[in-house]
Amino acid sequence: GGAMSFLKRFPPPAEGVRHQQPDTEAVLAGRTLGAGTLYIAESRLSWLENSGVGFSLDYPTISLHAVSRDLNAYPWEHLYVMVNARFEEEETKEAPMAEGEEEEESDDDVEPIAEFRFVPSDKSALEAMFSAMCECQALHPDPDDEDSDNDYEGEEYDVEAHELEQGDIPTFYTYEEGLSHLTAEGQATLERLEGMLAQSVSSQYNMAGVRTEDSIREFEDGMEVDIAPVVAGQFEDAEVDH
Amino acid sequence: MEVSHSVKERTIAENSLVILLQGLRGHVTTVDLRDESTATGRVTNVDAFMNVRLAEVTFTDRQGTVSRLDELFVTGRNVRYVHIPDEVDIRATIERQLQAIHRVRYFGGRDKGRKEFPRAKHK
Repeated sequence: GGAMSFLKRFPPPAEGVRHQQPDTEAVLAGRTLGAGTLYIAESRLSWLENSGVGFSLDYPTISLHAVSRDLNAYPWEHLYVMVNARFEEEETKEAPMAEGEEEEESDDDVEPIAEFRFVPSDKSALEAMFSAMCECQALHPDPDDEDSDNDYEGEEYDVEAHELEQGDIPTFYTYEEGLSHLTAEGQATLERLEGMLAQSVSSQYNMAGVRTEDSIREFEDGMEVDIAPVVAGQFEDAEVDH
Repeated sequence: MEVSHSVKERTIAENSLVILLQGLRGHVTTVDLRDESTATGRVTNVDAFMNVRLAEVTFTDRQGTVSRLDELFVTGRNVRYVHIPDEVDIRATIERQLQAIHRVRYFGGRDKGRKEFPRAKHK
């Protein structure tokens, strides 16, 4: 075979690079493409040989990726990437090819598959490479998804988004965080409520279900009731006479 | 019980059977791929787009060659079937996942690190 004609010269990606692994060999269908740097970027997966030529793969075309440490299957630990596309000069284990002929699938409906292996000289980087790819892959959900009604504008979706204002933050705050998020009015309300809880029997507020000195007069039924100081939690087992 | 950190993904999961697959985390199962290869391994994660992450995988490619993979990520598009292991109670699993989602949504979780969330990145 000749040179891999799908290799092109292009600058390394500058934005959204989640992981970069130098000194990484790229192998296509068992044939080495040389040594270079693998760029796992949010927009696409790129590999550039040290000479400056390389190729890119779009995440929607990647069917799966994996960490292979099975030396019986392949003699070096690597990141395996299966792509749903055809690349020139590709050899497969299927029907043998006559020289110069284009590969033909016996069944036209079978989708093309290209198998890439990225072999880093630093094996310990494989986990990070794998995870970076998972993250980037998740950024490219299938637009042709049959169940494509994922554009939820239902009440649930809006309720959460409305409450949170942003996308992915927790739906509750710890006490300290919460305080800092209150407006001046909110803080005033909080202080007032806390004051109500802290005040004792002589509170000027009637709290539901709690018998204060004032309300006792209304419910005079001969029962002697010991009025304990109002504390938080007293509400829970208060008996409410309606 | 972990649920997605994404509002959108929680909503998607809640409205589709992917919520069942998400409940398979930790179980060993077999995933049939679109190209007729299969992968058997322990489910690490399934997201709302049915991307499946497996660990300790026995992978049989479409020619029947078997190999082991430490970790495998299959895109949802390429998943044909996910086998539900016999030991999994489907209904209970779905209910548990829904409860987990509702806990996050309405009451917050406990301190399972959620207050350390980074702020969402705007795309």
